Amino acid sequence: MIVDTAMVELTIDGRSVRVPVGTTIWEAAEQAGIEIPSLCHDPRLAAAGVCRMCVVDVGERVLAASCVRECSDGLEVRTDSENVQSHRRRLTGLLLSEHPTPCARETRTGDCQLEQLGRHFHLEVPPTAASSPAPPPPDLSSPVIAVDHQACILCDRCIRACNDIQSNEVIGRTGKGADVRIAFDLDRPLGQSTCVACGECAAVCPTGALVGKVLTLPVIRREDMTRTDTVCPYCGVGCAVTAWVRDETIVECEGRESPVNQGRLCVKGRYGWDYTLHPHRLTTPLIRRESAYPKGPLSPAVASSLPGDRGRKPGGVVDLDDVLPAFREATWEEALDLVGSRLTAIRDSHGSNTLAGFGSAKGSNEEAYLFQKFIRAGLGTNNVDHCTRLCHASSVAALMETIGSGAVTNIFADVARADVALVTGSNTTTNHPVAATFIKQAAKANTELIVVDVRRNAIANAASHFAQIRSGTDVAFYNGLLHVLCRDNLVDKDYIDRHTEGFESLRELVETDYSPERASAICGVPAEQIEAIARTIGKATPTGGGGSMIVFWGMGVSQHVTGTDNARCLISLCLATGNIGRPGSGLHPLRGQNNVQGASDAGLIPIVYPDYQSVANEECRRKFETAWGRPLDPEPGLTVVEIIKGALLGSIRGMYIMGENPFISDPDSNTVRQALSNLDFLAVQDIFPTETAEFADVILPASSYFEKAGTYTNSDRRVQLGRPVLAPPGLARQDWEILCEVSGRVGLDSSFTDVSAVFDEFTALTRNYQGLTHENLGLTGRLWPCPDPDTADGTQILFGDGFPTTSGRGRFVPCPYRPADELPDDDFPFILNTGRVLAHWHTGSMTRRSQALDAIEPAPFVAVHPDDLQRLKADDGQELKVTSRRGSIQLSARADRNVQPGSVFIPFHFREAAANTLTNDALDPQGKIPEFKVCAVRLEPA
Amino acid sequence: MELLRELAALQQQHGCLDDGCLEELAERRGVPRYRIEELVSFYTHLRRTPPPRREIAICRDVVCTMHGGPRLREAVAEHAVEGLEVTGVSCLGRCDHAPAVSINGQPAGRVDPANADALLDDSTVPWLTAHDRCDWLADPYASPADHYATLLALASDPPTLAGTCLERLQDSGLRGMGGAGFPTGRKWQLVATETADSKYVICNADESEPGSFKDRVLLSTVPHLVIEGMVLAGLTVGADRGILFLRHEYSLEQQVLAAALQTAAARGILGENAAGSGRSFEIEIFVSPGGYILGEETALLEALEDRRGEPRNKPPYPGQHGLFGQPTLINNVETLALAVPIIHHGSTWWSDQGRPGFDGLKFVSISGDVVEPGVYELPVGTTVAELIERAGGMDGGRSVKAFLPGGASSRFLPADRLDTPLDFDTIAAAGSMLGSGAVVVVAEGRNLFELATGLVRFFRNESCGKCVPCRIGSHRAVGLLESVAAGSAGPDVLEELTPLGDTLEQTSLCGLGQVALAPILSMLEHFPAEVPAP
Ligand SMILES: Cc1cc2nc3c(=O)[nH]c(=O)nc-3n(C[C@H](O)[C@H](O)[C@H](O)COP(=O)(O)O)c2cc1C
Ligand code: SF4
Ligand code: SF4
Ligand code: SF4
Ligand code: FES
Repeated sequence: MIVDTAMVELTIDGRSVRVPVGTTIWEAAEQAGIEIPSLCHDPRLAAAGVCRMCVVDVGERVLAASCVRECSDGLEVRTDSENVQSHRRRLTGLLLSEHPTPCARETRTGDCQLEQLGRHFHLEVPPTAASSPAPPPPDLSSPVIAVDHQACILCDRCIRACNDIQSNEVIGRTGKGADVRIAFDLDRPLGQSTCVACGECAAVCPTGALVGKVLTLPVIRREDMTRTDTVCPYCGVGCAVTAWVRDETIVECEGRESPVNQGRLCVKGRYGWDYTLHPHRLTTPLIRRESAYPKGPLSPAVASSLPGDRGRKPGGVVDLDDVLPAFREATWEEALDLVGSRLTAIRDSHGSNTLAGFGSAKGSNEEAYLFQKFIRAGLGTNNVDHCTRLCHASSVAALMETIGSGAVTNIFADVARADVALVTGSNTTTNHPVAATFIKQAAKANTELIVVDVRRNAIANAASHFAQIRSGTDVAFYNGLLHVLCRDNLVDKDYIDRHTEGFESLRELVETDYSPERASAICGVPAEQIEAIARTIGKATPTGGGGSMIVFWGMGVSQHVTGTDNARCLISLCLATGNIGRPGSGLHPLRGQNNVQGASDAGLIPIVYPDYQSVANEECRRKFETAWGRPLDPEPGLTVVEIIKGALLGSIRGMYIMGENPFISDPDSNTVRQALSNLDFLAVQDIFPTETAEFADVILPASSYFEKAGTYTNSDRRVQLGRPVLAPPGLARQDWEILCEVSGRVGLDSSFTDVSAVFDEFTALTRNYQGLTHENLGLTGRLWPCPDPDTADGTQILFGDGFPTTSGRGRFVPCPYRPADELPDDDFPFILNTGRVLAHWHTGSMTRRSQALDAIEPAPFVAVHPDDLQRLKADDGQELKVTSRRGSIQLSARADRNVQPGSVFIPFHFREAAANTLTNDALDPQGKIPEFKVCAVRLEPA
Repeated sequence: MELLRELAALQQQHGCLDDGCLEELAERRGVPRYRIEELVSFYTHLRRTPPPRREIAICRDVVCTMHGGPRLREAVAEHAVEGLEVTGVSCLGRCDHAPAVSINGQPAGRVDPANADALLDDSTVPWLTAHDRCDWLADPYASPADHYATLLALASDPPTLAGTCLERLQDSGLRGMGGAGFPTGRKWQLVATETADSKYVICNADESEPGSFKDRVLLSTVPHLVIEGMVLAGLTVGADRGILFLRHEYSLEQQVLAAALQTAAARGILGENAAGSGRSFEIEIFVSPGGYILGEETALLEALEDRRGEPRNKPPYPGQHGLFGQPTLINNVETLALAVPIIHHGSTWWSDQGRPGFDGLKFVSISGDVVEPGVYELPVGTTVAELIERAGGMDGGRSVKAFLPGGASSRFLPADRLDTPLDFDTIAAAGSMLGSGAVVVVAEGRNLFELATGLVRFFRNESCGKCVPCRIGSHRAVGLLESVAAGSAGPDVLEELTPLGDTLEQTSLCGLGQVALAPILSMLEHFPAEVPAP
């Protein structure tokens, strides 16, 4: 027999085993079906070999820890001899002698791994404890995790989970010898440490030392709960989760093994699900009372944002009790009939194009498909849009124009294979926390990470280059980089020749106008640093080292009047260096909401039908007219901001809004308020009484994410099936059913046996989703396009060989630098930047109703550089008034060295200090995305 | 190295490492706070609270205990002087001057417990100086001018140098003097055959085992041999960086070493073209931030990598995967010093130095109940009884009750084994181990139970806490022993110690835990009557 040099052969308990070199004895035994007990080992973590429970006899002077010992040829291993067992038993006894039995894990889920071993070895009452040092008292300071040091066995799993998996770098060991325990930061209480509450530590802890606090009902023994495998409702990462339910209540969410998140979660996914049970849930259809006309705001925060209204103290989310008095309960029949008749009436008397709909990127593909079908085929207009407009419309515009597809060309986890990664305009650890863990991990391994941002976000700590650019100067910075790349011949000539067009015009622009010095003068990054970053990027070219580069960007790139230009520059960077279509390379706009990708794919955009088939294209229109049996409008529809403007001017008279809250999410809230109150008719389909619902004529109670089935497409293009975990409360109905009902009421027959049939109708009209069914998505979904969904995971890397453009080539679009729309001046000397915080999501309607998330980040704040605070003679925590040309809000200051002096940051989740009262609705000409990231404000102590 | 050095420097500057200073460090260097916490809480030399005006640290380990350490501590503690802090510390490596103390980091010794007042005033403290007697056979050089002659004769042709060194070391059969006794020639060979971008040579001068202080004496008397040994090793294995890992309590010796390094650099022995070899070799001193466990070679590496000094799981061994993952040769001070005369004279000379049937020389520390404790250079094969004679015989003419042949980690042997020759195999055959060659002699009349308990306490105190058996087991053993000593438990509870010791030996991650109960178990075996009656 030829011995494969890469394999070793050994015997374990007399069984002969052949494994690849480098396999540990523990792994080899597992493969052979031999279970070796362990406490510190977890296959997801690097082996530590500290608990010694996994010792085996390898014929040496002493036993070997099998989790760390590699197999070698001819080794004879005994895993179960009496000697080995007696030592394991004694180790268990030693641990139990210091363990509070039963510990918190045992009393909750009944699965403390130490106590399980104790039972296995029939160790009844632990032997009398030695004079142990007094255990520190429990640490209950974190809103989500209870720490009991006494139950800790120092297996180091939490340390590896926090530092190696999540790269949050909070937990370590403190002390020495018998006094060792785990500690957070410089031995702070967990709740006062830099912990970001991702819960990974508690998820891996084998004992009751770290357990989740009770958020709804206490967890009980696993066998007494039901589990459902589903997907996280929050961001575009789309982590796979398992929800545990008892008594019709979710009590825990765990990360689930999947190519997306490999079992990881962030604070929102792990602890932010109790909103589904919040008393504010809408449970019955509501019709506005006659007495509540003319329409006006109902809740105090909205009212107090009215000029001159000093009446009531703003705060928190909209209270159901503030909204209910203006409405009366109705039956579904009555409410649906009313919606149908009012919308039809407007359509018939004023024309289809006086109607509009906002769908939601929080909803499923099926819902998005039905929604746009309802608006297009039912109401007869293309005025249908959703919040992608507010996040990546410009990115999509640039991508469609240059490479013919708006989706990512590679998945985020492929950063592991990238030699260089560029992260720009993305507060990744906050907005895509689990994707960030992969980026941070890659940066710790072999990937050189470049971070470009106006704020020094946490991801910058993992970077080898951090360039802090001035707000709105991205184009100048990237043109500077492209200048150096062209000048130093750090481009992929061959790739450019074969796959692109327009390179020369780009080269001309950047070479003549954007020397590093010139770029530096605009963007504020030193010329040497531009050179250094360009050289690093150059490593991902054939001339510079042959490596690969992947580019990630977020709303810091897209939410500008130059958003499309910014994205074009990033695309040029990848095209020039040949970094599309190869492993470790690609363009990845990080998608904001769980289903931004899918909602766009499903046609929730005014200019395209499902799968980006243009409404203006005759052939496409025919196809959909045939499929839907209705004539369709050949005119592209209006976008979000245009629709709001239309409402203000009276050209839009009726709207149907599903799961969106433009009041808070759209620029210039005061205008939005006026626009909404101006409408003749507004129907709102939602799960909570939102600010938008306050202006509704009819409110239809919908189901939350956890109450329905449907597919969601994450940032990677992975289509995943969300499964129902709970039943909708009261009379609330599934969203897809509601949409079918209203479609019927406007004369569009829309009936399906179940939601998977909706998916089938949608996929049949597309190329990219072709062949996918609820069934073949399985537990971990499929990446579109997926030619053979029954056997393969789908296509990870797109465009290895040309692009879906008319020429088949990727296009360089040279972009000269243009400044932001509104720059600071003497009256408004600060630049305001807006965005999100880790614990909240979008307008906060879900996260602010989740106890844990609300406890972590309960109130609005404005992040100001300490030097600026000093100049303003204000202290950290002091109330400030922030004013722009459009409005003014009041909130507390937070000293933050990560914002540049002269600029401030306000998260937009908080309606009591709605950042969008201040923002500028100037639009990017192509993407029609508002400039959320730059406007001029004034700060003064309140 | 950088982070620990910076912590040491900050402490030097501010007196201690308070939270503000550590927060600032974390921000400035972008180091996660937990990593700083891990270091500051682990290393005994780092402190978080301001130091007292006068800190008198008194050795609490076996030899000093025999010489009145506990009484001294009580006596000093009685002085309620403002700004005075009296602490107990682990063995200071000056057992030949027991009871040894350290006053604000400066060593003093042979303090008379009856005259504890002497420690309160600098002018009356019995300060110690670096040992400078030097008439070792092992030093081939008659005068300082001859130093490095062995190296200089070979350096011009590194491949030949490597061949000669490997051949002579292998022929001599020299074994590691740090305790484990691994054949030195083989170790050099293993590292030499590794291919890597960079390699390291580390001299382990962390000597911290109670009873062992021979490295200290070698460092101050023949630093040139240690340096020469390191350069020879570096050129042989292909390393360009040498690190001398020195325990911080050896401040006197550090000065001698620093001076010797300067001389060596000035003579061109170190530097870009080390000894004219055409290769670069530099040596730097890294002062240990404190703790016996750092003497364990992989714990030492962890410390050099700015982590907690917790031993690594082996394999891989440092020879393949050492400092920063590179092949690393780690040798004890004595091993490196002895390599020089072997390479100089050849293996026949070496063999001739031993008693018939034995090869070579051995530096042995002897302390305890002998008249002249100290370091003796012995022909290998010399018996323990003869060594005691050389050390002036038994203190007060008492007879030997028991002895530890290899420091705290070796097993007690009774007096009837005094005729055992001091060599690895003979001592092992007698039921103990030579270890680092640290003989501690205990006279009749001593409370062996108390001394053995003290030894277990030493291991408990010095356990890094990484692995379960040692962390909990050593602590539990101390608890049982103390309860028997206090009379709160009967001697039968000690029955648990045998299986417990077995588990510690079989399952502990490193040598510390593996031997932690050896002293008490050997005492129970040979002197069962010493256990206090209930
Ligand atoms: C707990 C422990 C402490 C040790 N302390 C020392 C020490 O202080 N000095 C030393 O040279 N070796 C010490 N060793 C042995 C080292 O791990 C290593 O084997 C030695 O430095 C190798 O050098 P050698 O081959 O020249 O003996 C210790 C080992 C253990 C397990
Ligand atoms: S919750 Fe997450 S960040 Fe916090 S300590 Fe645990 S693993 Fe680290
Ligand atoms: S807290 Fe849990 S996971 Fe962390 S070391 Fe202790 S037992 Fe292990
Ligand atoms: S045996 Fe003791 S000293 Fe060694 S690793 Fe384990 S706990 Fe640390
Ligand atoms: S110095 Fe006290 S025992 Fe060594």
